[in-house]
Amino acid sequence: MKKHHISALIFLAIALVAAGIAGASFLSMRENEYIAKGPGVSEVKMLSDWFPALAGSPGDTEVYILRSESSNDDAASMLVLGGTHPNEPAAFVAAVLLVENAQPSAGTLYVIPRANNSAFTHNDPQEGSPQRFTIKTPDGDRVFRFGSRATNPVHQWPDPDVYIHASSGQSLSGNETRNLNRGYPGKADGTLTEKVCYGITELIKKEAITITVDLHEASPEYPVNMAMVAHPNAMPLASETVIGLEMQDIAIGLEPSPVNLRGLTHRELGDFTDTLPVLMETPNASQGRLRGKTDEALVLTGIDPWYVKAEKLGRLYVPYDGNGHPIEERVGRHVAGIAELAFTWTLNNPERPLEFSGLPSYAELLDTGLGIWLKAPEQ
Amino acid sequence: MKIIYLTILAAVLGLCLWNLFSAKKPSLQATAAMVIVPLLLRLFLIN
Repeated sequence: MKKHHISALIFLAIALVAAGIAGASFLSMRENEYIAKGPGVSEVKMLSDWFPALAGSPGDTEVYILRSESSNDDAASMLVLGGTHPNEPAAFVAAVLLVENAQPSAGTLYVIPRANNSAFTHNDPQEGSPQRFTIKTPDGDRVFRFGSRATNPVHQWPDPDVYIHASSGQSLSGNETRNLNRGYPGKADGTLTEKVCYGITELIKKEAITITVDLHEASPEYPVNMAMVAHPNAMPLASETVIGLEMQDIAIGLEPSPVNLRGLTHRELGDFTDTLPVLMETPNASQGRLRGKTDEALVLTGIDPWYVKAEKLGRLYVPYDGNGHPIEERVGRHVAGIAELAFTWTLNNPERPLEFSGLPSYAELLDTGLGIWLKAPEQ
Repeated sequence: MKIIYLTILAAVLGLCLWNLFSAKKPSLQATAAMVIVPLLLRLFLIN
């Protein structure tokens, strides 16, 4: 054997070891993190139960159903979507907190913590995002994946140069074809992302969901932030809810769903179904363009000197100081918004109430932190 | 579409392996080995 063949074999062995280590790390992102079934969970189904074409695909995802004892076919219901964009961690954690703590006494709560299940299986390239973040609970650590904004290209490829939204013909950048919140109301024979949108729309139609809440986060430099975005049909409910939140000292804006921005939950679900759709945004530095070091600490605390500087220069749409925007605050805003939406609905529709207990208030979450509201993994 | 993609990928991987074993300079062999890593991850649809 020639000398350079021996060195080639050595380099090949090193390459195989490197590919093995990297491959194991990437494959570990496909393992779902633990979600405990809380005391209010009456049933766990899959999205494919409403749209069977999703069965066995990376788009299929758990739907947690929390039904009150008094609930019947006419009862009010709420669907909460977490994880539409898995690089917006407070949305996912808020949905998990609902599953593990909410106890409905009237109506039914549906929660999909991983709305875009495929997008949890990878990171956005060139962002340097952490793969995971950890929240300490009294009984152990809870580890959550920090995923991508879009469906994994391994599951849906290739992207077109231009993404044409199926039902409106709207043109967007090609990579938006994998963005769940640009694909509604979905397409039964479309891409994986469009099929997931279709499945969620089918669930809303078949279960006659009263209110749909899509949880998100946004860069601090993004204008729609610390806000609730509502379809015109949901505007009366959302405006009363915003006033209720302001009365709890939770600063929040109200934005109408733009008529000409298509494919989003707050537009299409209101146009194509009878649900009242709203979307909520909280400030998340770890997805922003102005951020500095991107690590787990930034995900959890939101503390970033560059955003403090940007705030001083008047470049942000949210207040930003050295305290950042910790995940307790961001999750607290989402949970308080959901509770207030249910309260406002019940106030206006006492014959069809939607009530659940067991959730921490915004002030409680800030005071106690998230850990005590999350169940430790079963050993 | 996926079959065409994987076929092209396998061909490029084969060329890289050929380059790895035919190159005599260690620096060129190291370069070929580094290129092989992402190609393997793609071929097995890992990333």
